[in-house]
Amino acid sequence: MTLTPEERWQLVEDITGRTVSFGLYRHTLKDAIGDFTVKPATGIPFAIAVLYAFWSIFTAFAGFITDGFMVKIFDQHWLPWLQAAFPGGPGSWFYALMVDGGQVIDGVYTPNTSCLESFGVLTSGLFLPIGVVLPALFVFYIMLALLEDIGYMPRLAVLMDTFLHKIGLHGYAIVPTILSLGCNVPGVEATRILETRKQRFMMMTLLAVFIPCGAQIGIMQDVIPEYIGFVMLYLFAGYFIYGFLLNKLVPGKAPEILMDVPTYQRPLVGSIAKKVWMRTNSFLKEAIPLVMLGVLLVNFLYCLGIIDSLATLMAPVFEGWFGVPRETAGPLLAAFLRKDLAIAQLSAIEMSDYQMISAVVLVSIYFPCVATFLMMLREGGRVFFGSLAALLVVVFSYGGLLHLIWILMGVQ
Amino acid sequence: METPRAFQETGVVYGVYFSLLGTMFLSSGMAELILALAGSPFAAGPLVLPAGAFRGGWGGLVMTGAGVMCLAGIRDAGEIHQFAMVVMGCILEWIVAATDLFALLMASIPGGEEGGWLNTWEGFVNAFRPPYTPAVLLLPFSLVVIFFIHRYRIESDPSRKSLREQGSDQG
Repeated sequence: MTLTPEERWQLVEDITGRTVSFGLYRHTLKDAIGDFTVKPATGIPFAIAVLYAFWSIFTAFAGFITDGFMVKIFDQHWLPWLQAAFPGGPGSWFYALMVDGGQVIDGVYTPNTSCLESFGVLTSGLFLPIGVVLPALFVFYIMLALLEDIGYMPRLAVLMDTFLHKIGLHGYAIVPTILSLGCNVPGVEATRILETRKQRFMMMTLLAVFIPCGAQIGIMQDVIPEYIGFVMLYLFAGYFIYGFLLNKLVPGKAPEILMDVPTYQRPLVGSIAKKVWMRTNSFLKEAIPLVMLGVLLVNFLYCLGIIDSLATLMAPVFEGWFGVPRETAGPLLAAFLRKDLAIAQLSAIEMSDYQMISAVVLVSIYFPCVATFLMMLREGGRVFFGSLAALLVVVFSYGGLLHLIWILMGVQ
Repeated sequence: METPRAFQETGVVYGVYFSLLGTMFLSSGMAELILALAGSPFAAGPLVLPAGAFRGGWGGLVMTGAGVMCLAGIRDAGEIHQFAMVVMGCILEWIVAATDLFALLMASIPGGEEGGWLNTWEGFVNAFRPPYTPAVLLLPFSLVVIFFIHRYRIESDPSRKSLREQGSDQG
Protein backbone atom coordinates (compact mmCIF):
# COMPACT_ATOMS: atom_id res chain seq x y z
CA MET A 1 0.00 0.00 0.00
CA THR A 2 1.40 3.39 -0.99
CA LEU A 3 0.35 6.55 0.84
CA THR A 4 0.53 10.07 -0.51
CA PRO A 5 2.23 12.66 1.76
CA GLU A 6 -1.20 14.06 2.67
CA GLU A 7 -2.53 10.63 3.61
CA ARG A 8 0.60 9.95 5.60
CA TRP A 9 0.22 13.16 7.61
CA GLN A 10 -3.45 12.38 8.13
CA LEU A 11 -2.47 8.97 9.51
CA VAL A 12 0.03 10.59 11.88
CA GLU A 13 -2.66 12.98 13.06
CA ASP A 14 -5.14 10.14 13.62
CA ILE A 15 -2.64 8.15 15.66
CA THR A 16 -1.52 11.09 17.79
CA GLY A 17 -5.19 12.07 18.26
CA ARG A 18 -5.87 8.68 19.79
CA THR A 19 -2.68 8.22 21.78
CA VAL A 20 -1.42 11.66 22.88
CA SER A 21 -3.28 13.76 25.41
CA PHE A 22 -2.55 17.46 25.83
CA GLY A 23 -2.78 19.45 29.03
CA LEU A 24 -0.85 21.23 31.72
CA TYR A 25 2.24 19.23 32.75
CA ARG A 26 2.27 18.43 36.45
CA HIS A 27 5.51 17.51 38.13
CA THR A 28 4.74 14.29 40.02
CA LEU A 29 6.47 12.53 42.89
CA LYS A 30 7.83 9.98 40.41
CA ASP A 31 9.34 12.81 38.32
CA ALA A 32 10.89 14.39 41.41
CA ILE A 33 12.48 11.08 42.48
CA GLY A 34 13.61 10.55 38.86
CA ASP A 35 15.30 13.98 38.92
CA PHE A 36 17.06 13.23 42.18
CA THR A 37 18.52 9.99 40.85
CA VAL A 38 20.44 11.89 38.15
CA LYS A 39 21.65 14.81 40.28
CA PRO A 40 25.11 14.00 41.71
CA ALA A 41 24.39 15.07 45.31
CA THR A 42 21.45 12.68 45.64
CA GLY A 43 22.09 10.36 42.69
CA ILE A 44 25.50 9.13 43.88
CA PRO A 45 24.24 7.97 47.32
CA PHE A 46 21.31 6.33 45.52
CA ALA A 47 23.66 4.63 43.02
CA ILE A 48 25.80 3.38 45.95
CA ALA A 49 22.63 1.97 47.55
CA VAL A 50 21.59 0.26 44.30
CA LEU A 51 25.03 -1.29 43.84
CA TYR A 52 25.06 -2.29 47.52
CA ALA A 53 21.71 -4.06 47.05
CA PHE A 54 22.97 -5.65 43.83
CA TRP A 55 26.03 -7.10 45.54
CA SER A 56 24.20 -8.14 48.74
CA ILE A 57 21.53 -10.05 46.83
CA PHE A 58 24.16 -11.53 44.50
CA THR A 59 26.28 -12.94 47.34
CA ALA A 60 23.32 -14.08 49.48
CA PHE A 61 21.59 -15.91 46.62
CA ALA A 62 24.77 -17.40 45.12
CA GLY A 63 25.86 -18.59 48.58
CA PHE A 64 22.39 -19.99 49.26
CA ILE A 65 22.39 -22.18 46.14
CA THR A 66 26.10 -23.07 46.00
CA ASP A 67 26.91 -23.63 49.70
CA GLY A 68 23.40 -24.73 50.65
CA PHE A 69 22.72 -27.28 47.93
CA MET A 70 25.29 -27.58 45.13
CA VAL A 71 28.28 -28.37 47.36
CA LYS A 72 26.22 -31.08 49.03
CA ILE A 73 25.03 -32.56 45.72
CA PHE A 74 28.49 -32.59 44.16
CA ASP A 75 30.69 -33.40 47.18
CA GLN A 76 28.47 -35.79 49.12
CA HIS A 77 26.75 -37.61 46.25
CA TRP A 78 28.23 -37.05 42.80
CA LEU A 79 31.95 -37.31 43.68
CA PRO A 80 31.71 -40.41 45.95
CA TRP A 81 29.51 -42.14 43.35
CA LEU A 82 32.01 -41.41 40.57
CA GLN A 83 34.96 -42.45 42.77
CA ALA A 84 33.24 -45.77 43.41
CA ALA A 85 31.74 -46.47 40.02
CA PHE A 86 34.15 -45.02 37.46
CA PRO A 87 35.90 -47.75 35.42
CA GLY A 88 39.59 -48.19 36.21
CA GLY A 89 39.46 -46.54 39.62
CA PRO A 90 42.28 -44.61 41.32
CA GLY A 91 45.67 -45.14 39.75
CA SER A 92 44.55 -45.18 36.13
CA TRP A 93 45.39 -42.11 34.06
CA PHE A 94 41.87 -41.99 32.58
CA TYR A 95 40.34 -41.89 36.08
CA ALA A 96 42.74 -39.10 37.10
CA LEU A 97 41.81 -37.15 33.99
CA MET A 98 38.06 -37.59 34.28
CA VAL A 99 37.38 -37.87 38.04
CA ASP A 100 40.12 -37.16 40.55
CA GLY A 101 43.90 -36.94 40.44
CA GLY A 102 43.99 -37.28 44.25
CA GLN A 103 46.78 -36.08 46.51
CA VAL A 104 49.84 -37.81 47.86
CA ILE A 105 50.08 -37.10 51.59
CA ASP A 106 53.11 -38.64 53.38
CA GLY A 107 53.60 -40.98 50.43
CA VAL A 108 50.05 -42.26 50.57
CA TYR A 109 47.49 -41.68 47.82
CA THR A 110 44.50 -39.84 49.28
CA PRO A 111 41.39 -39.16 47.21
CA ASN A 112 40.02 -35.61 47.19
CA THR A 113 36.79 -34.97 49.04
CA SER A 114 35.58 -31.94 47.10
CA CYS A 115 34.77 -31.36 43.47
CA LEU A 116 36.62 -28.03 43.59
CA GLU A 117 39.94 -29.75 44.33
CA SER A 118 39.57 -33.00 42.37
CA PHE A 119 40.01 -31.34 38.98
CA GLY A 120 38.51 -34.07 36.87
CA VAL A 121 36.51 -33.33 33.72
CA LEU A 122 33.36 -34.84 35.26
CA THR A 123 33.89 -33.36 38.72
CA SER A 124 35.38 -29.83 38.64
CA GLY A 125 34.42 -29.57 34.97
CA LEU A 126 30.74 -29.79 35.93
CA PHE A 127 30.83 -28.34 39.45
CA LEU A 128 32.37 -25.02 38.41
CA PRO A 129 29.91 -24.02 35.68
CA ILE A 130 26.77 -25.59 37.18
CA GLY A 131 27.37 -25.52 40.92
CA VAL A 132 29.20 -22.22 41.33
CA VAL A 133 28.87 -19.98 38.31
CA LEU A 134 25.30 -20.68 37.15
CA PRO A 135 23.56 -19.57 40.39
CA ALA A 136 25.73 -16.43 40.52
CA LEU A 137 25.07 -15.54 36.87
CA PHE A 138 21.37 -16.33 37.20
CA VAL A 139 20.83 -13.83 40.00
CA PHE A 140 23.17 -11.31 38.32
CA TYR A 141 21.11 -11.41 35.13
CA ILE A 142 17.80 -11.09 37.03
CA MET A 143 19.01 -7.94 38.77
CA LEU A 144 20.53 -6.49 35.60
CA ALA A 145 17.27 -7.06 33.70
CA LEU A 146 15.34 -5.50 36.58
CA LEU A 147 17.50 -2.35 36.51
CA GLU A 148 17.17 -2.16 32.71
CA ASP A 149 13.39 -2.57 32.79
CA ILE A 150 12.79 -0.14 35.64
CA GLY A 151 14.73 2.48 33.67
CA TYR A 152 17.62 2.98 36.08
CA MET A 153 20.41 2.26 33.59
CA PRO A 154 20.01 5.52 31.57
CA ARG A 155 20.07 7.43 34.87
CA LEU A 156 23.25 5.68 35.89
CA ALA A 157 24.64 6.64 32.47
CA VAL A 158 23.81 10.32 33.07
CA LEU A 159 25.31 10.14 36.54
CA MET A 160 28.54 8.54 35.30
CA ASP A 161 28.86 10.87 32.31
CA THR A 162 31.12 13.40 34.07
CA PHE A 163 33.49 10.70 35.38
CA LEU A 164 33.62 8.82 32.09
CA HIS A 165 34.32 12.00 30.12
CA LYS A 166 37.56 12.31 32.10
CA ILE A 167 38.70 9.12 30.35
CA GLY A 168 37.37 10.04 26.92
CA LEU A 169 34.16 8.02 27.10
CA HIS A 170 30.60 9.12 27.79
CA GLY A 171 27.88 8.01 30.18
CA TYR A 172 26.59 5.20 28.00
CA ALA A 173 29.98 3.48 28.35
CA ILE A 174 28.54 2.28 31.66
CA VAL A 175 26.26 -0.08 29.68
CA PRO A 176 29.05 -2.26 28.16
CA THR A 177 30.91 -2.01 31.49
CA ILE A 178 28.00 -3.37 33.53
CA LEU A 179 27.12 -5.95 30.85
CA SER A 180 30.72 -7.14 31.02
CA LEU A 181 30.34 -7.75 34.74
CA GLY A 182 27.96 -10.50 33.59
CA CYS A 183 29.89 -11.67 30.53
CA ASN A 184 32.54 -9.84 28.49
CA VAL A 185 31.04 -11.08 25.20
CA PRO A 186 27.82 -8.98 25.21
CA GLY A 187 29.92 -6.19 26.74
CA VAL A 188 32.20 -6.10 23.70
CA GLU A 189 29.14 -6.30 21.44
CA ALA A 190 27.61 -3.31 23.26
CA THR A 191 30.62 -1.12 22.42
CA ARG A 192 28.70 -0.42 19.21
CA ILE A 193 26.80 2.29 21.08
CA LEU A 194 30.02 4.34 21.26
CA GLU A 195 30.49 6.84 18.47
CA THR A 196 34.12 6.90 17.43
CA ARG A 197 36.79 4.32 16.69
CA LYS A 198 38.90 5.75 19.51
CA GLN A 199 36.11 5.19 22.03
CA ARG A 200 35.46 1.64 20.84
CA PHE A 201 39.18 0.84 21.00
CA MET A 202 39.44 2.22 24.52
CA MET A 203 36.30 0.51 25.72
CA MET A 204 37.27 -2.90 24.32
CA THR A 205 40.72 -2.68 25.86
CA LEU A 206 39.39 -1.63 29.26
CA LEU A 207 36.71 -4.34 29.24
CA ALA A 208 39.09 -7.08 28.23
CA VAL A 209 41.62 -6.10 30.86
CA PHE A 210 39.87 -4.67 33.88
CA ILE A 211 36.29 -5.94 34.03
CA PRO A 212 35.93 -9.40 35.55
CA CYS A 213 32.97 -11.40 34.24
CA GLY A 214 30.17 -12.79 36.43
CA ALA A 215 31.60 -16.31 36.25
CA GLN A 216 34.91 -15.02 37.53
CA ILE A 217 33.27 -12.96 40.29
CA GLY A 218 31.16 -15.96 41.28
CA ILE A 219 34.18 -18.19 41.62
CA MET A 220 36.15 -15.48 43.46
CA GLN A 221 33.25 -15.13 45.88
CA ASP A 222 33.35 -18.86 46.53
CA VAL A 223 37.11 -19.45 46.61
CA ILE A 224 38.68 -16.22 47.86
CA PRO A 225 35.84 -14.20 49.48
CA GLU A 226 38.27 -12.42 51.82
CA TYR A 227 40.29 -10.91 48.94
CA ILE A 228 37.55 -10.05 46.48
CA GLY A 229 37.21 -6.44 47.68
CA PHE A 230 40.93 -5.76 47.13
CA VAL A 231 40.90 -7.41 43.71
CA MET A 232 37.86 -5.44 42.54
CA LEU A 233 39.26 -2.19 43.92
CA TYR A 234 42.54 -2.73 42.10
CA LEU A 235 40.77 -3.61 38.85
CA PHE A 236 38.42 -0.60 38.97
CA ALA A 237 41.33 1.72 39.80
CA GLY A 238 43.13 0.32 36.75
CA TYR A 239 40.02 0.93 34.61
CA PHE A 240 40.19 4.67 35.35
CA ILE A 241 44.00 5.06 35.39
CA TYR A 242 44.52 3.30 32.05
CA GLY A 243 41.38 4.91 30.61
CA PHE A 244 42.86 8.31 31.43
CA LEU A 245 46.22 7.36 29.89
CA LEU A 246 44.69 5.84 26.76
CA ASN A 247 42.56 8.96 26.30
CA LYS A 248 45.72 11.10 26.35
CA LEU A 249 47.74 8.79 24.08
CA VAL A 250 45.25 7.55 21.50
CA PRO A 251 44.41 10.01 18.71
CA GLY A 252 40.76 10.52 17.81
CA LYS A 253 37.59 12.19 18.99
CA ALA A 254 35.48 11.68 22.08
CA PRO A 255 32.28 13.61 21.33
CA GLU A 256 29.56 14.73 23.74
CA ILE A 257 26.17 13.09 23.39
CA LEU A 258 22.60 13.98 24.27
CA MET A 259 20.94 11.34 26.42
CA ASP A 260 17.26 10.49 26.55
CA VAL A 261 16.14 9.50 30.04
CA PRO A 262 12.80 7.68 30.11
CA THR A 263 10.48 7.77 33.12
CA TYR A 264 10.64 4.95 35.66
CA GLN A 265 8.53 1.97 34.62
CA ARG A 266 7.01 -0.99 36.40
CA PRO A 267 9.15 -3.99 35.30
CA LEU A 268 7.42 -6.72 33.28
CA VAL A 269 7.97 -10.27 34.50
CA GLY A 270 7.76 -11.66 30.96
CA SER A 271 10.43 -9.31 29.65
CA ILE A 272 12.78 -10.04 32.58
CA ALA A 273 12.26 -13.79 32.22
CA LYS A 274 13.01 -13.61 28.48
CA LYS A 275 16.23 -11.65 29.01
CA VAL A 276 17.41 -13.92 31.84
CA TRP A 277 16.65 -17.05 29.83
CA MET A 278 18.42 -15.72 26.71
CA ARG A 279 21.57 -14.77 28.63
CA THR A 280 21.68 -17.85 30.87
CA ASN A 281 21.04 -20.14 27.93
CA SER A 282 23.97 -18.70 26.00
CA PHE A 283 26.18 -19.18 29.09
CA LEU A 284 25.14 -22.83 29.45
CA LYS A 285 25.79 -23.59 25.78
CA GLU A 286 29.16 -21.89 25.78
CA ALA A 287 30.61 -22.36 29.26
CA ILE A 288 30.05 -26.02 30.13
CA PRO A 289 31.88 -27.47 27.08
CA LEU A 290 34.66 -24.88 27.42
CA VAL A 291 35.25 -25.55 31.14
CA MET A 292 35.30 -29.31 30.55
CA LEU A 293 37.66 -28.84 27.61
CA GLY A 294 39.83 -26.55 29.73
CA VAL A 295 40.09 -29.08 32.57
CA LEU A 296 40.91 -31.83 30.07
CA LEU A 297 43.56 -29.73 28.32
CA VAL A 298 45.23 -28.56 31.51
CA ASN A 299 45.21 -32.11 32.95
CA PHE A 300 46.81 -33.39 29.72
CA LEU A 301 49.46 -30.69 29.80
CA TYR A 302 50.19 -31.50 33.45
CA CYS A 303 50.46 -35.23 32.62
CA LEU A 304 52.84 -34.51 29.73
CA GLY A 305 54.97 -32.22 31.92
CA ILE A 306 54.41 -29.23 29.64
CA ILE A 307 53.01 -27.01 32.42
CA ASP A 308 56.06 -27.71 34.61
CA SER A 309 58.44 -26.89 31.75
CA LEU A 310 56.50 -23.70 31.02
CA ALA A 311 56.55 -22.77 34.71
CA THR A 312 60.34 -23.22 34.84
CA LEU A 313 60.80 -21.23 31.63
CA MET A 314 58.59 -18.38 32.80
CA ALA A 315 59.81 -18.43 36.42
CA PRO A 316 61.85 -15.19 36.19
CA VAL A 317 58.82 -13.33 34.84
CA PHE A 318 56.33 -14.82 37.28
CA GLU A 319 58.48 -14.72 40.40
CA GLY A 320 60.71 -11.74 39.61
CA TRP A 321 58.35 -9.35 37.84
CA PHE A 322 54.85 -10.28 39.03
CA GLY A 323 55.80 -11.75 42.42
CA VAL A 324 53.62 -14.87 42.07
CA PRO A 325 54.67 -18.55 42.24
CA ARG A 326 55.84 -20.16 39.00
CA GLU A 327 52.98 -22.70 39.27
CA THR A 328 50.67 -19.87 38.19
CA ALA A 329 51.62 -20.83 34.61
CA GLY A 330 48.98 -23.62 34.56
CA PRO A 331 46.03 -21.45 35.63
CA LEU A 332 47.13 -18.69 33.23
CA LEU A 333 47.02 -21.16 30.38
CA ALA A 334 43.56 -22.33 31.45
CA ALA A 335 42.44 -18.69 31.73
CA PHE A 336 42.49 -18.39 27.97
CA LEU A 337 39.60 -20.88 27.90
CA ARG A 338 37.78 -19.85 31.07
CA LYS A 339 38.92 -17.39 33.73
CA ASP A 340 36.64 -18.93 36.38
CA LEU A 341 38.43 -22.23 35.86
CA ALA A 342 41.80 -20.51 36.26
CA ILE A 343 40.83 -18.90 39.57
CA ALA A 344 39.59 -22.24 40.89
CA GLN A 345 42.99 -23.69 39.96
CA LEU A 346 44.81 -20.85 41.72
CA SER A 347 43.04 -21.77 44.97
CA ALA A 348 44.89 -25.11 44.93
CA ILE A 349 48.35 -23.46 44.75
CA GLU A 350 50.08 -22.65 48.00
CA MET A 351 50.84 -18.93 48.24
CA SER A 352 50.66 -15.96 50.58
CA ASP A 353 47.62 -13.65 50.77
CA TYR A 354 49.37 -10.96 48.77
CA GLN A 355 50.51 -13.40 46.12
CA MET A 356 46.94 -14.68 45.85
CA ILE A 357 45.60 -11.16 45.26
CA SER A 358 48.34 -10.56 42.65
CA ALA A 359 47.68 -13.90 40.95
CA VAL A 360 43.91 -13.30 40.74
CA VAL A 361 44.48 -9.79 39.38
CA LEU A 362 46.94 -11.24 36.86
CA VAL A 363 44.43 -13.87 35.69
CA SER A 364 41.85 -11.10 35.30
CA ILE A 365 44.01 -8.71 33.31
CA TYR A 366 46.34 -10.94 31.35
CA PHE A 367 44.25 -11.97 28.35
CA PRO A 368 40.56 -12.13 27.39
CA CYS A 369 38.98 -15.58 27.43
CA VAL A 370 38.56 -17.27 24.03
CA ALA A 371 34.91 -16.22 23.63
CA THR A 372 35.74 -12.55 24.28
CA PHE A 373 38.81 -12.85 22.06
CA LEU A 374 36.67 -14.02 19.12
CA MET A 375 34.04 -11.34 19.75
CA MET A 376 36.74 -8.63 19.88
CA LEU A 377 38.13 -9.92 16.60
CA ARG A 378 34.65 -9.79 15.01
CA GLU A 379 33.62 -6.42 16.42
CA GLY A 380 36.93 -4.61 16.48
CA GLY A 381 38.54 -5.25 13.09
CA ARG A 382 41.83 -3.36 13.05
CA VAL A 383 41.03 -1.91 16.45
CA PHE A 384 41.38 -5.42 17.88
CA PHE A 385 45.13 -5.66 17.22
CA GLY A 386 45.66 -2.26 18.83
CA SER A 387 43.70 -3.50 21.84
CA LEU A 388 45.89 -6.58 22.12
CA ALA A 389 49.07 -4.50 21.98
CA ALA A 390 47.71 -2.13 24.64
CA LEU A 391 46.68 -5.15 26.70
CA LEU A 392 50.25 -6.51 26.75
CA VAL A 393 51.64 -3.18 27.93
CA VAL A 394 48.95 -2.92 30.62
CA VAL A 395 49.54 -6.46 31.91
CA PHE A 396 53.26 -5.96 32.35
CA SER A 397 53.06 -2.46 33.78
CA TYR A 398 50.05 -3.00 36.07
CA GLY A 399 51.08 -6.49 37.17
CA GLY A 400 54.57 -5.20 37.98
CA LEU A 401 53.13 -2.16 39.74
CA LEU A 402 51.13 -4.38 42.08
CA HIS A 403 54.28 -6.32 42.94
CA LEU A 404 56.09 -3.03 43.55
CA ILE A 405 53.31 -1.91 45.91
CA TRP A 406 53.71 -5.12 47.95
CA ILE A 407 57.49 -4.63 48.07
CA LEU A 408 57.12 -1.01 49.23
CA MET A 409 54.63 -2.12 51.86
CA GLY A 410 57.13 -4.70 53.02
CA VAL A 411 54.89 -7.71 52.36
CA GLN A 412 55.42 -10.70 50.10
CA MET B 1 5.95 24.81 34.38
CA GLU B 2 3.95 24.58 37.58
CA THR B 3 5.71 22.85 40.50
CA PRO B 4 2.88 21.57 42.67
CA ARG B 5 3.01 21.03 46.37
CA ALA B 6 2.86 17.49 47.68
CA PHE B 7 0.48 18.47 50.45
CA GLN B 8 -1.48 21.59 51.29
CA GLU B 9 -0.72 21.12 54.99
CA THR B 10 1.72 18.66 56.55
CA GLY B 11 1.42 19.49 60.22
CA VAL B 12 3.93 19.31 63.04
CA VAL B 13 3.72 15.53 63.43
CA TYR B 14 5.18 14.95 59.95
CA GLY B 15 8.19 17.17 60.59
CA VAL B 16 8.90 15.80 64.06
CA TYR B 17 8.42 12.18 62.99
CA PHE B 18 10.71 12.28 59.97
CA SER B 19 13.36 14.40 61.68
CA LEU B 20 13.48 11.78 64.46
CA LEU B 21 13.58 8.96 61.92
CA GLY B 22 16.27 10.73 59.89
CA THR B 23 18.34 11.25 63.04
CA MET B 24 18.03 7.53 63.84
CA PHE B 25 19.10 6.57 60.29
CA LEU B 26 22.02 8.97 60.44
CA SER B 27 23.25 7.94 63.88
CA SER B 28 22.97 4.20 63.19
CA GLY B 29 24.72 4.62 59.82
CA MET B 30 27.57 6.57 61.38
CA ALA B 31 27.87 4.06 64.23
CA GLU B 32 28.12 1.24 61.66
CA LEU B 33 30.77 3.16 59.75
CA ILE B 34 32.82 3.74 62.91
CA LEU B 35 32.53 0.09 63.95
CA ALA B 36 33.49 -1.03 60.45
CA LEU B 37 36.64 1.11 60.70
CA ALA B 38 37.34 -0.23 64.19
CA GLY B 39 36.59 -3.77 63.06
CA SER B 40 34.55 -4.81 66.10
CA PRO B 41 30.78 -5.50 66.12
CA PHE B 42 28.47 -4.25 68.86
CA ALA B 43 25.44 -6.05 70.31
CA ALA B 44 23.02 -4.93 73.01
CA GLY B 45 19.60 -6.46 73.59
CA PRO B 46 17.71 -6.77 70.30
CA LEU B 47 20.25 -4.60 68.46
CA VAL B 48 23.41 -5.64 66.63
CA LEU B 49 25.72 -3.33 64.70
CA PRO B 50 27.70 -5.31 62.12
CA ALA B 51 31.37 -4.49 61.68
CA GLY B 52 32.35 -6.13 58.38
CA ALA B 53 33.79 -3.91 55.65
CA PHE B 54 30.90 -4.58 53.27
CA ARG B 55 27.82 -4.68 55.53
CA GLY B 56 29.22 -2.32 58.13
CA GLY B 57 31.12 0.01 55.83
CA TRP B 58 28.98 0.22 52.69
CA GLY B 59 25.72 -0.54 54.52
CA GLY B 60 26.59 2.15 57.07
CA LEU B 61 27.28 4.59 54.25
CA VAL B 62 23.88 3.92 52.70
CA MET B 63 22.17 4.34 56.09
CA THR B 64 24.03 7.62 56.60
CA GLY B 65 22.82 8.76 53.17
CA ALA B 66 19.27 7.78 54.15
CA GLY B 67 19.51 9.89 57.30
CA VAL B 68 20.91 12.92 55.47
CA MET B 69 18.16 12.74 52.84
CA CYS B 70 15.39 12.42 55.42
CA LEU B 71 16.71 15.36 57.39
CA ALA B 72 17.24 17.45 54.25
CA GLY B 73 13.64 16.86 53.21
CA ILE B 74 11.78 17.92 56.34
CA ARG B 75 12.06 21.68 55.75
CA ASP B 76 9.03 22.96 53.79
CA ALA B 77 7.77 19.38 53.72
CA GLY B 78 4.74 20.21 51.59
CA GLU B 79 6.95 21.02 48.58
CA ILE B 80 7.10 18.04 46.26
CA HIS B 81 10.91 17.89 45.92
CA GLN B 82 11.29 18.02 49.69
CA PHE B 83 8.79 15.21 50.09
CA ALA B 84 10.58 13.22 47.34
CA MET B 85 13.81 13.63 49.34
CA VAL B 86 12.16 12.07 52.42
CA VAL B 87 10.79 9.22 50.28
CA MET B 88 14.26 8.61 48.80
CA GLY B 89 15.77 8.50 52.29
CA CYS B 90 13.23 5.85 53.25
CA ILE B 91 13.91 3.90 50.01
CA LEU B 92 17.61 3.83 50.91
CA GLU B 93 16.73 2.47 54.36
CA TRP B 94 14.42 -0.15 52.80
CA ILE B 95 17.29 -1.29 50.57
CA VAL B 96 19.56 -1.99 53.57
CA ALA B 97 16.76 -3.60 55.60
CA ALA B 98 15.52 -5.71 52.68
CA THR B 99 19.01 -7.01 51.88
CA ASP B 100 19.56 -7.84 55.59
CA LEU B 101 16.27 -9.77 55.69
CA PHE B 102 17.04 -11.45 52.36
CA ALA B 103 20.43 -12.60 53.68
CA LEU B 104 18.70 -13.97 56.82
CA LEU B 105 16.15 -15.81 54.68
CA MET B 106 18.79 -17.30 52.39
CA ALA B 107 20.85 -18.48 55.36
CA SER B 108 17.83 -19.99 57.14
CA ILE B 109 16.58 -22.36 54.43
CA PRO B 110 19.43 -24.89 53.81
CA GLY B 111 20.05 -27.62 56.39
CA GLY B 112 23.76 -26.88 56.84
CA GLU B 113 26.78 -29.08 56.18
CA GLU B 114 25.81 -31.87 58.58
CA GLY B 115 22.01 -31.57 58.43
CA GLY B 116 19.45 -32.57 55.79
CA TRP B 117 18.71 -30.73 52.58
CA LEU B 118 16.43 -28.23 54.32
CA ASN B 119 16.58 -26.65 57.74
CA THR B 120 14.20 -27.84 60.46
CA TRP B 121 11.20 -25.65 61.26
CA GLU B 122 12.77 -24.67 64.61
CA GLY B 123 16.06 -23.86 62.93
CA PHE B 124 14.26 -21.77 60.32
CA VAL B 125 12.31 -19.80 62.94
CA ASN B 126 15.36 -19.39 65.17
CA ALA B 127 17.25 -17.77 62.30
CA PHE B 128 14.83 -14.84 62.49
CA ARG B 129 15.13 -14.28 66.23
CA PRO B 130 16.83 -11.07 67.50
CA PRO B 131 19.28 -9.39 67.49
CA TYR B 132 18.56 -7.32 64.39
CA THR B 133 20.46 -4.63 62.58
CA PRO B 134 19.26 -1.00 63.03
CA ALA B 135 17.92 -1.04 59.45
CA VAL B 136 15.61 -3.98 60.24
CA LEU B 137 14.51 -2.46 63.55
CA LEU B 138 13.72 0.87 61.89
CA LEU B 139 11.96 -0.68 58.89
CA PRO B 140 8.39 -0.60 60.33
CA PHE B 141 8.83 3.05 61.28
CA SER B 142 10.05 4.02 57.82
CA LEU B 143 7.06 2.29 56.19
CA VAL B 144 4.93 5.17 57.55
CA VAL B 145 6.06 7.13 54.50
CA ILE B 146 3.72 4.92 52.42
CA PHE B 147 0.79 6.54 54.23
CA PHE B 148 2.06 9.97 53.13
CA ILE B 149 2.60 8.75 49.55
CA HIS B 150 -1.01 7.57 49.60
CA ARG B 151 -2.14 10.92 50.97
CA TYR B 152 -0.12 12.73 48.31
CA ARG B 153 -1.80 10.66 45.59
CA ILE B 154 -5.24 11.49 46.91
CA GLU B 155 -4.45 15.19 47.22
CA SER B 156 -2.85 15.40 43.79
CA ASP B 157 -5.63 13.50 42.02
CA PRO B 158 -9.14 14.79 42.84
CA SER B 159 -10.75 11.70 41.27
CA ARG B 160 -9.26 9.60 44.09
CA LYS B 161 -10.88 11.69 46.82
CA SER B 162 -13.77 10.01 48.57
CA LEU B 163 -17.29 11.37 47.98
CA ARG B 164 -17.42 12.67 51.54
CA GLU B 165 -14.18 14.64 51.09
CA GLN B 166 -15.37 16.02 47.74
CA GLY B 167 -18.63 17.05 49.40
CA SER B 168 -16.80 18.78 52.23
CA ASP B 169 -14.55 20.56 49.72
CA GLN B 170 -17.61 21.91 47.91
CA GLY B 171 -19.36 22.80 51.18
